[in-house]
Order: sequence, then structure tokens, then C-alpha cells
Amino acid sequence: MIKGQPTSEPVQKPPIGQFALLPGLAMLLVLPLVAGGSDYILQVFTHALLLATLALAWNILAVSGSISLGHAAFFGVGAYTSGLLSLELGVSSWLTIPTAGLSAVAIAVLMWLFCHRLRGAYFALATLAFVEIPRVITDNWDGLTRGSRGLVGLPGLPGLRLGAHHFDISASPTGSYYFVLGYGLLLLAMVTLIFRSNLGLALQAIREEETAASTLGIQVQKYRLMALLLSALFSGITGACYAHLVRYIEPGMVYGIHFSAIPLIFAICGGRFTIIGPALAALVLYPLDQFLFHPLLPAGHEFLYGAVIILTILFLPSGFWGQLRKGHLVSIKTGSIE
Amino acid sequence: MSLLRLEALSKKFGEHWALKGIEFALEEGEIVGLVGPNGAGKTTLFNLITGRYKPSSGKIWFEGKDITSCRPHEIRHFGISRTFQSSRPFAKMSVLENVVVGRIFRGEFHLFPHPTDIKTALQLLELVGLAHKPGAVAGELTLSEQRRLDLARALATEPRLLLLDEVVAGFSPLAVKQAADLVQRVRERGVTLFIVDHFLRLSLRVSDRLLALDHGEKIAEGKPQEVMRNREVIRAYLGVRHDDEEQSAEGMEHGGQAF
Amino acid sequence: MWTTVLVSGIALGSFYTLVALGFALIFGVTHTFNLAYGELLVLAGYVAYWLWKTYGISLLFTFPAAIVVTLAVCLILQRLFSRLREPMEMNSLVVSFGLAILLQNGMLFLFSGDYRMIRVPFLNEGFRFHGLYLSYGQFTLLALSLLVIALTYLLMRHTYLGKGLRATIQDKESAALAGINVSGMGILAFAIGAILIGLAGPLFGCIHYLYPTAGLQATLIAITITIFAGVGRIRSLILGGWILGLAESCAVVVLGASWRELVSALMLITLLALRPYGILGKEEQ
Repeated sequence: MIKGQPTSEPVQKPPIGQFALLPGLAMLLVLPLVAGGSDYILQVFTHALLLATLALAWNILAVSGSISLGHAAFFGVGAYTSGLLSLELGVSSWLTIPTAGLSAVAIAVLMWLFCHRLRGAYFALATLAFVEIPRVITDNWDGLTRGSRGLVGLPGLPGLRLGAHHFDISASPTGSYYFVLGYGLLLLAMVTLIFRSNLGLALQAIREEETAASTLGIQVQKYRLMALLLSALFSGITGACYAHLVRYIEPGMVYGIHFSAIPLIFAICGGRFTIIGPALAALVLYPLDQFLFHPLLPAGHEFLYGAVIILTILFLPSGFWGQLRKGHLVSIKTGSIE
Repeated sequence: MSLLRLEALSKKFGEHWALKGIEFALEEGEIVGLVGPNGAGKTTLFNLITGRYKPSSGKIWFEGKDITSCRPHEIRHFGISRTFQSSRPFAKMSVLENVVVGRIFRGEFHLFPHPTDIKTALQLLELVGLAHKPGAVAGELTLSEQRRLDLARALATEPRLLLLDEVVAGFSPLAVKQAADLVQRVRERGVTLFIVDHFLRLSLRVSDRLLALDHGEKIAEGKPQEVMRNREVIRAYLGVRHDDEEQSAEGMEHGGQAF
Repeated sequence: MWTTVLVSGIALGSFYTLVALGFALIFGVTHTFNLAYGELLVLAGYVAYWLWKTYGISLLFTFPAAIVVTLAVCLILQRLFSRLREPMEMNSLVVSFGLAILLQNGMLFLFSGDYRMIRVPFLNEGFRFHGLYLSYGQFTLLALSLLVIALTYLLMRHTYLGKGLRATIQDKESAALAGINVSGMGILAFAIGAILIGLAGPLFGCIHYLYPTAGLQATLIAITITIFAGVGRIRSLILGGWILGLAESCAVVVLGASWRELVSALMLITLLALRPYGILGKEEQ
């Protein structure tokens, strides 16, 4: 960490430190042991972690101020790319998952051509409409994508061979869980790097005051594009993981409004100006939905997400983690650390 | 060679000439005040120099190079920086980060801010009197603090020419005096200053020369006292339209003693 | 065949104009985006379907009930929107997106996810007119849509309230200075919008399957036409509706029914790419 010059003023204690999250991380690490034989609990948390990665990926773009309502496009294209490559060509999912990320980047370039001049609500609307393009094409291109029948019987998440040992991740829920957890932690590290880097400073500056940012030498469009491509890359990878986790996809599912709404809800509710807030919201809200609301209200349990987003915008505009860490959203440490 | 030279610079919005045939030159090390009533075209001129607007005709020369129609981030690399009429801090970022952002986009690519960038940023905060709160959230600063932050951020780009847009609007007389001292200190760092100042509260204290605009045209330039005695300038200021009455009343109050 | 495309396109397009009318009015007066607009339409359709199916009430008498329901939801939404801070467009978009999710799940709970349609046998019959076959369904759609649009036009042009609404659309601040109760106009816009949705919803249920997530298409259609036409110009709204209706009819004939949903999305993206400053078209000066 970069140290600033010692300042005379004592360092303000943050209302809540990032270290408060360490017990949570520890719990995630040992969850398969604690959850014992319950595959259901593990499955729910595997999904929660996957949705957390989608929210983290979404937030890379939101840092630059662009709210997307169209991340299902990247998610769906990623899921289909990885699914088709492994079904049709039998390629190992170690290869198809990164390729899926790249195909999402390609779609993001197309989206950029349409949307690069748009800001705010108009950008959001254009992304909302944009999802229809890959969805309708996937739905209709029977020869390639098998259309609305979807892809059935997808191979599971990739296995791992260490010397003579072979860990088949897909064979056990525990394996899938740790695979997704590992990806989540990797992505969290990436997002932390992005936030703390010059790229992150540029994106935040663009979000706050685009004109001032360009006057200070920031090439606004270049950085907005970088944010979109990085965000699409990881959303595509998440989509691919989802396909191999669930092993069945169809256009209405992976391109549905659900996967555009979920990252937006988690990120805004957790705090889109924070690094980890979006992931936290996913890990709290999704299990809450699955363990509490789903049994109570099998049809319509997702009203929870609608209610949460309305309440957040009205009462906690910076999200709950943003609120807890108010005034400490900063990337560069300023206090005297010596 | 002049530092900045404007050659028959014009800008038209629709059918309206915001600026018409401006000829002017700034010499290195000067402080020049840009004065004129509301709607004279002062901020438009700044927007043209910093590349926010493209001129309808005319040229802008900086250190002998033609910078007409360069984009804002390119202009920054030539060595021109500015503050904004309503200060525009990056509200959700810290005070220190605001200034660091001014430092780090110098053309060559770096992944992280260099420790020396942060050191320089802290020194600039010292200069503008914000050294005691580098970690504060910029959006929560007072108006005067935000203006000083704007200045530090603009200085962080190491400009040869700094454009200040209404930095003392709404300041108390004491705060204006402090701002004047600050501007002198900035000049001592070798920065040439061009100051938009509607009520002349700052420019009469610090300017070597004044440039007066009215309705997009140059009506006078020269030593401050000469310009203030110029009939056209007096008429432009006194004959302010009535829809600006609030501001013109304030203008008489603060700028009036100069006439 | 092409005359059939023409007729169905115009009928559909007129209905789309009716759908867009309420959206454009609400946006014009309050500068808020209502992403739950399509969900409201589907909700009104469900109300009509439920009354028609369970109580055998004639379609004509379901309109008042549908209007009551949409009025209630719209006025709640208006209360929510009035508490938002800037940027209004973005915040209203996200809040109404939340409301859309709420409504979708509420409808899923009440009406299940099955596809429903109001089937009035009479509407499927038809008549010949100068060698042109018109179904009563298309004819009703066209006639009712144009009637409601005409009534709205008269309301906006020739009544005191309409003048207040138009003044608010053109310039909020001047309207307030002229003594117009601008926030009252906001409530009125939502109320008229709700009535228009309440009228369009049951019709929607006759021409389109109802299911909880059917609203997104309708929202896209309303936004597309509004961005095409700008606010406050009913004639441009009609033109936009017809272009979209005809384009969809052509797409169905040329490419097949499954490509229809792409038309409004492509039209919206293209319009936004061409008019990046949006509906009001104000470039920052």
C-alpha cells in the first residue's frame, strides 16, 4: 500500500473496518465442513457466490457512472459460448470458460458502437434494449444454438489433475463450491486492483465530473470502454460458470431480465461506490431469498429484490456497506502508517 | 513569442455570436484579468481555450503551436489547466485523490499512482491550505475549500497557463485577500494566470493587465486603471440589462469603488 | 398479402400509440422514466382477464375496474417518485425497475406463470370491405385506439387542464411562474397515464398472451415511440406508432413471428445512437 506523508491529524477511525469481514470470509472457507451433508445449503451458497461475481463484474462498469440494464447479454453469450464449445467440440471447460469471457468482450464492443455517446438513463435504456439482439438471434439460429430447446446435458465445471490425483470438481457440490469461491476471491482481488489503480481513479473521476476529468487529461471514452470490456469479460466468465454449474441453459433463462436485474440490485443495495458491497449484498440477500422467502412464497418470492431496490434508492442511496463505511470509500490511504 | 495568442477567435451558438473576432496575446508570467458583464463570453472563451468547444473560426496558439480544436485531454498535455465557475470536485473521492487525479494522467501509462505523485499532491494541499484534511470526502467541503481544492487539482497538472473562472465569487473581503495572496504564490511558481472575474474583486488586486469583453467582442485591453476608465467598459457595466438586476446590484456594491 | 400487412400494421401501430401516450405524458410532465409501465399494462390486462373468466363480465365493463387498479398503483408510484433526488431520470428508472419486479412477482403469485388470453369469439370474425378482409378485432383495436387518442388530443388542446399540462411539458419553471401548480400537474399526468393504461391493458390482453414478464416488450415499445416523437406531439406519436407497427408486421411476414421482438429493440437503440441527448434533446451548453 502506498503511504502518504505523515499528517499532523490523527487518522480517523472508520466506523466499520474491512477487517470486520474476516470472520465472514472464514465462514465461507469452512462452510462445506459446517454445512455437513446438506447439499442444498452448499448449492444456495454456490449460487450466491456466483451472483456475487456477477455483481462485482457489473460494478466495474458502474464505477464509471454507467448503470447497465443489459448485463444479461454478456452473461448469456458467455453461457452459450462455453456451453456450445464443450457440447459440440468437446473442449475442456478450462478453455471454454475463458473463451466465453472473450466472446462477451466481443459483444461488448458491439454494444459500445451503439451506446458510446449515451449517458445516464439513456445508456441504461439502450443496454436494456440491446439484450434483445443476442437473445432473439440465439432463439432463432436453430442450426447453431439449438434455438429455444436450449442446451441440455452440459459438462460440469472443470476438473483438476495434480500429479496422480484427479479432483473432479463437478462431481461433488463441495468441489463446485470451492471452484466458484476461488473465482470469486480472484475477481475480488482484480476489482480491488482496478479500484486502487489509476484506471479506477480515472473511472471514479469520470463518474463524478466528466468535464473536469477530461480537463485533467483523462481520455474519457477510452476509460469508459475499458471499464465496459473488463465488466463484460468477467460477466461472460460468470455466465459460463453458471452454464456448467446448472448444466442446462435456454435463451429465455440466460438472456432474461433476471440476470440484468440481479447485479444491479445487489450492487446498488450493497453500495456501488464500494469494492465489496455488491458481493456482500449477494451473499446476504440471495440466501435470505432462498431460505426464508422461497419456502414462504414459492410463487413470487423475488418481490424481495424489488422491495430492496426501492428502499435502497429512497433511504440509503450509497447502499448499506457504503453507509457503514461512510467517508471511507477512498482508494488511496492518507494516514500516517509508519 | 507570446505564451497564448488568440487570432480572430469566434464562436457562434445557433444564430448568436458568443464571441466575435477576439484578438489577444498573453505573455509568459503575466496575470491577466478577463472582465465583462454577464453574457460577455468570458466562460465561452475559457471553454474554447481548453478544447471543450470548437471555435467557429479563428485560431488559438500556445507557445507557437496551433492548439485550435484540440481535445480537452490533449490541451492538458500542452500545459493548460483550469478551474470551473461552479467548482466541480470529484465529490465522492477524497481531497487527496482529487489532486492525485490531476497528477497522474500525463500521457505515459502507469498502473498505480507513484509515491512522488502523492507527495506532490500533499504539497499542493499545503499550498492551498487543505493539508489538514487529505482524507476528507471532497463533496463535504465548504464552498471556499472546494474552490481551493479545484485550484490544487488544476495546479497538479503542472500547467504553464492556468485559467481561473470566478474563484472568489461569494467570498468575504478577507477571503478575497487570501485568494489574492494565493494567486501571487501561484505566479511565483512560474505559472501564467488568466482570471475571469466578473466583479473585479480579485483582478484589480493582482492583474498586470485586463481584457474587457462585452457581447462577445473585445472592448478594451491594457493596464487595469486605464481599462476601468474606458467609457465602453463603464457603459457595459452600468448598462447591465435589468434581468441581471440581482447580480448587477452586487456588482455595484463590490466593484463600484473601482470606477 | 401486403394490404393485410398494412392493415394489421396500422391497427397494431395505433394501439402502440395508445400505449406510448401515457408514457410520453408522464415523462413530459415529470421527467421520470417509468420502467414499470409495461407491468402496469399487463396488470390491467390481468384484471380484465380475471373478471371476464371468473364472472363472465363483458370486456367492455372490465375497463373501469382496470382503471381503478392502475390509478391506485400509479398514484403510489407518483408518491415514490416525488421523494426522489437528482438525477431524476436515473433514479426514477431504477426505482420503477424495482416496482416492475414487485409487480411481476405479485402477478406471478396471483395469476401464476401460465399464458392467458382474453378470447372474445366475436373479435375473431371479420368482414370484407372493398375486397379487404378486416377482422372485428383489428377494427376494434384501430377504432378504440384512435378514439382514445382523439379524446386525449381534445383534452390537451381545448381544456384548461390540458393547457396546464402542455405548459408544464414545455417549461416547468415558466409554468410555475405563471401560477400553474406544477406538482399538481405531475399527479394529473400520472392519473391520465393510469386511465390510458387501464384502457389499453384489457385490449392488450385480447391481442397478446398475458404472463407476468410480458410487460418488458410493452415498456420498450412505449419508450421507443416516445423517443422517436419527443414529448407533447401527438401526431408524431401516431407516426411513430404506425412505423413501429408496420415494421413489426413486415418482420413477422418476412422473417417470422419470433423476430418481431427484435424490431422495437433495434429501433430504440438506433434512435438513441442518433439522438444521444435523449427525448428532450438538450445538449449541455
